[in-house]
Amino acid sequence: MSVEKKSDFHVVNHSLPRRDGRVKVTGKAQYVADLRLIGMAYAKVLRSPYAHAKIISIDKSRAEAHSGVYCVVTGYDLDGINPYYGHAVKDHPLLAIDKVRYAGEAVAAVVAVDERTAFEAVELIDVKYEELKAVFTPQEALASDAPLLHQRQFEAGALRGFEGEVTAGKGTNICQTHKIQWGDVEKAFKEAAAVIEGDYYFPMTYAYAMEPYVAIAEVNDQGVTIYSSAQHPFMVRHDLKSVFNLPVSSVRLIVPFVGGGYGSKSYTKIEPLVAACSWKAKRPVKLQLTVEEAMLTTRSDDAYTWMRTAVDKNGKIIARQAKILMNTGAYAENSPLVVEKSTNRCVGPYAISNVLIENSSLYTNTVPASSYRGFGCAQVTLPGESQIDELAKKIGKDPYEFRLANAAKPGEEFFPGMRPFDGTLKEDLDTAAKAVGWGKPLPKGHGRTVACSGSDAGAYPLTSTAIRVHADGSVTIMTGSTELGQGSHTVLPQIAAEELGVPYEKVRVVSSDTAITPYDRSTGASRTTTLMGSAVLEASREAIQQMVVMAADVLKVKVEEIQTVRGGVRCGEAQLNWSEVISKFYALPDGEVIGRAYIRKSGRFSALPVFWEAAATACEISVDEETGKITMEKLATVGDVGLAINPALAEGQDLGAATMGMGIGLFEELIYEGAQLMNGSILDYRLPRFSDLPKEVELHLVQNQDGVGPYGAKGGGEASLNSMAANIANAVDSAVGVRIRQAPLTPERVWRALKEKKGR
Amino acid sequence: MEDRGSRSSILDLRSSVLLMMPLRKFTIHQPKTTAEASQMLAEYGDKGRLYAGGTELLLAMKHDLLRYEHLVDVKTIPDLNKIERKNGSLMIGGTATHRAIERSPLVRANLPVLAEMETNVANVRVRASGTLGGNLCFAEPHSDPATLLLALGAKAHVRGNAGTKSLTIDELIKGAYETSLADDELLVAVEIPIPAKTERAAYLKFQLKERPTLGLALVLDIDGDQIKKAKAVVGSVSALPTQSDRCDGLLIGAKTQVEKQLGDAAEALAKAADPVDDLEGSADYKRHLIGVFLRRAFIKALT
Amino acid sequence: MNLSFQLNGKPWQLDCEPADTLAEVLRNQLNLNGTKVSCEVQVCGACTVLVDNVPVSACTYLAYEARGKNVLTIEGLENPDGTLHPLQQAFIDEFAFQCGYCTPGMIMAAKALLDEKPKPTRDEIIHHMDGNICRCTGYVPIVAAIERAAALMAKEKQS
Repeated sequence: MSVEKKSDFHVVNHSLPRRDGRVKVTGKAQYVADLRLIGMAYAKVLRSPYAHAKIISIDKSRAEAHSGVYCVVTGYDLDGINPYYGHAVKDHPLLAIDKVRYAGEAVAAVVAVDERTAFEAVELIDVKYEELKAVFTPQEALASDAPLLHQRQFEAGALRGFEGEVTAGKGTNICQTHKIQWGDVEKAFKEAAAVIEGDYYFPMTYAYAMEPYVAIAEVNDQGVTIYSSAQHPFMVRHDLKSVFNLPVSSVRLIVPFVGGGYGSKSYTKIEPLVAACSWKAKRPVKLQLTVEEAMLTTRSDDAYTWMRTAVDKNGKIIARQAKILMNTGAYAENSPLVVEKSTNRCVGPYAISNVLIENSSLYTNTVPASSYRGFGCAQVTLPGESQIDELAKKIGKDPYEFRLANAAKPGEEFFPGMRPFDGTLKEDLDTAAKAVGWGKPLPKGHGRTVACSGSDAGAYPLTSTAIRVHADGSVTIMTGSTELGQGSHTVLPQIAAEELGVPYEKVRVVSSDTAITPYDRSTGASRTTTLMGSAVLEASREAIQQMVVMAADVLKVKVEEIQTVRGGVRCGEAQLNWSEVISKFYALPDGEVIGRAYIRKSGRFSALPVFWEAAATACEISVDEETGKITMEKLATVGDVGLAINPALAEGQDLGAATMGMGIGLFEELIYEGAQLMNGSILDYRLPRFSDLPKEVELHLVQNQDGVGPYGAKGGGEASLNSMAANIANAVDSAVGVRIRQAPLTPERVWRALKEKKGR
Repeated sequence: MEDRGSRSSILDLRSSVLLMMPLRKFTIHQPKTTAEASQMLAEYGDKGRLYAGGTELLLAMKHDLLRYEHLVDVKTIPDLNKIERKNGSLMIGGTATHRAIERSPLVRANLPVLAEMETNVANVRVRASGTLGGNLCFAEPHSDPATLLLALGAKAHVRGNAGTKSLTIDELIKGAYETSLADDELLVAVEIPIPAKTERAAYLKFQLKERPTLGLALVLDIDGDQIKKAKAVVGSVSALPTQSDRCDGLLIGAKTQVEKQLGDAAEALAKAADPVDDLEGSADYKRHLIGVFLRRAFIKALT
Repeated sequence: MNLSFQLNGKPWQLDCEPADTLAEVLRNQLNLNGTKVSCEVQVCGACTVLVDNVPVSACTYLAYEARGKNVLTIEGLENPDGTLHPLQQAFIDEFAFQCGYCTPGMIMAAKALLDEKPKPTRDEIIHHMDGNICRCTGYVPIVAAIERAAALMAKEKQS
């Protein structure tokens, strides 16, 4: 497929206004919380106060007798369905069965006429527990006398999405292990000119979407219909199909606008629970979680990493070794895949000839961990990019030059067996460094850094779409992609408008309804532009092919005589636009053409990853040594995106990602004290705010059309998060000479590190 | 890490598995006078509570940490929100909002440090609804107003069935979420003496999360290069805003001499405050911050 | 109890409970779902509405408090002929939202600011808006949108 040059684009590569703009600024955009079904009831959940306990008995009689209550559902009431679900392994019961595995786990659900009634009834449920010993860190979970969280043999989740064998359910608390290895690390470290070695900790964080988890389920003899804030409706559909033993055609997932996903709404969350409530109550049921409950539903994996990196005397990185322990919480969710990805992403976007990375994810009695923006990359980029700076300092090299000397080059198979690198790190790093004024003098107490990340992104190439060209030349795209705010409703019409030569305003999107929109594996892993975008492009072209045949029929000529032009066809003197082609073909101003495309792991998508998601970020910070407070003075992001279908949206994603990364670098962490999550609310979990804005922000895109997506596009929106914690750690070292190997670098931690350094 | 002894557990919003729920039903009463309000409060006992801005109260009720069937709305008492100048003091009505105080020309002209403190309380919406009286009477340890008002020598005018009285801030606030008020008493006004021309006041705070980690108020009475009187109060680091006579003593004298004594003064203040470990910071970090912010407040007050 | 107030420029009367919050009444009784509920503890600002031009957290502000007052929600911001308020247009022009969940609250908070301070400095914008949280955008485009709207509104006032 030839790639047109950027200057040729009419619609694509323009920062057109968001398609969902008007509805969002007028408050008319609908989210699941805004929806109501006829006869709908409301559910509220009773949660376990214990981290690990046997359920001895549940007495729900008083709750069920409460006026306005339709039913109360517990783990005892699930005969007839398959109550366990899970992406990688089916270890997650939709309500606790026999035991609870973390404080906050759902134990019972009340379905009532309204929320207040449901709350009142929740308090009337009596649960008797027998407390068990609990473990909260991977180290505790690994101890020989550690209690086992899971004793069952698990069915594999149907949608594993990774090749490795799942370790869970084999008599330990190990959920998953993964290892990558090439070269000979022992030899390389022996011969190295310099080595940096250290232990790092990346915290548990919470994605904090402004919209907490919410779902409405209607289960009846026709099947299961669910409205949910899910990023991947088709995956959730699969889980529901398994739970209820139904054919796929009887299960429907509908996702309207999602109020923020960031990976935290990937895969199944509360849908099986709400569906079970509807099944028992025999009416539609809505469950809306509060933010505090949402924080007890999904978090991101924390990670303890021991890492060492070695250089030769020429400043070439020759080895990297790491041992990682991740904490997946009470249930696997998709942490096994996170383990695999984070293992891979230890390599960073560097060409290292000797690598050994060993990673294990452990079950603990804490909130289940699942994917979060970066998908395991941020966890290991903290050590990875910290060590780059630490090494550069040790050997007396400029950390920016050091990165340039070691970065993977375009076309280099720097990760054996994977797609050769498709980015231009030199340009990314150069742009980032220039944006923060690399080399210019800095005031005392200021530090300046540049960092980068490279992730094997795009998840799995399995996508389909249908494009309907209507008789008046307007177009409807039917896409399984969900609109999380990332702009799928804008970007996909831009591509179709470009291909079909119709105005952008005439292209609409119908999205994320599994009964209507064709199969798309997921909306995440930065894959929508590259994969769904490619599907939309190919479906547009397929529609054009059909219309060429139709035009030949209409004009009574051979197909070979038809020429395509922008927005239509020409044959000799005759010229028809799409509307004329269709209307004349059907002999009425009606009818349509349905273009379709199937994307699978073949052709340009044979090699995995689908693309490498690369970005460089740079910042300048200042440190108030007396309080340890860090101020972000400057921030620059550079997204290596191939081609931005909508540059403003791509840059917006990068800034949002960098802000989240900054949050983790400065103040975001979930704090456990024993069994209890101490800061599971916005009062105590600190999010970035307006006043944290860096004084200067520059957003850049590098667009060399070097990806396999439409017009050379790749994905973006996660990479800028990944390197921010390391950037901040490196900048603090550069500013005040202390190396902190843990995020977040709260004022107190910085102060303490400074104190230790001064020996006071 | 956590020393939670200073917090009343019933109001500890930090416990996990919080139940956040729609408010349980209650009746709202609309007294027309403070006497009526006191009568209502006495009648309802522990089933009733004063309600003003609700910014702290309703949050606790949403988390089911407090339950009341009767709320007595003091905002229906006319003139309880007035801000006036009276006999060399500012009288701020109990139901004056943070927003009103922040914007009041009287406050800005006569006590700019109070306006500055109020402008940084919570967020713009809490400032719009929350009242000074409500803030003082809820006695949330991590809070700005009490700290500054203690340093300014403010008095709380309280009215109940037994009559009226006037309390200093440390007579009013006795512990975390605890005041010396009887069930039927309400705070009708806060009286703050307008500082003499020789007085300088500063309020600084250090805040990361939703509530301040530390607040430091400093009032100095200056004559040439001598500091004649001093009062330093630190708040948010423990259950109560704290003042130390020993600290204040070290802040008196020649400016150059006092500057050398700031470290010792801070140490005395920290000893008196006895900061606690909590989610806003550990005790030794807070002790350190007291020193930092006493010095910074000193510089600010003298500029 | 009976509640009488002005809602988006029209007189309104309804029955509600004393314990009903303004957000509950707007969303559940009046089907005005533009006001979003998120943190429910007055921190995030997603539920911001204006009462007598002052921003309040509808999630915690009792509907009772709106009696006799002027309530303005996001639904009341656009002009009767459907054209957008300059703030709404500026948010679109500056890409000042992504998922949109914080957006109604953001816009209402910004309106209160611009009504009071038609030419706010960047510091004043940040101070006023600091009580509204956005998880998607990183705030830069929101500041730009408010500045853009301020300039537009100043121009409209002139002409």
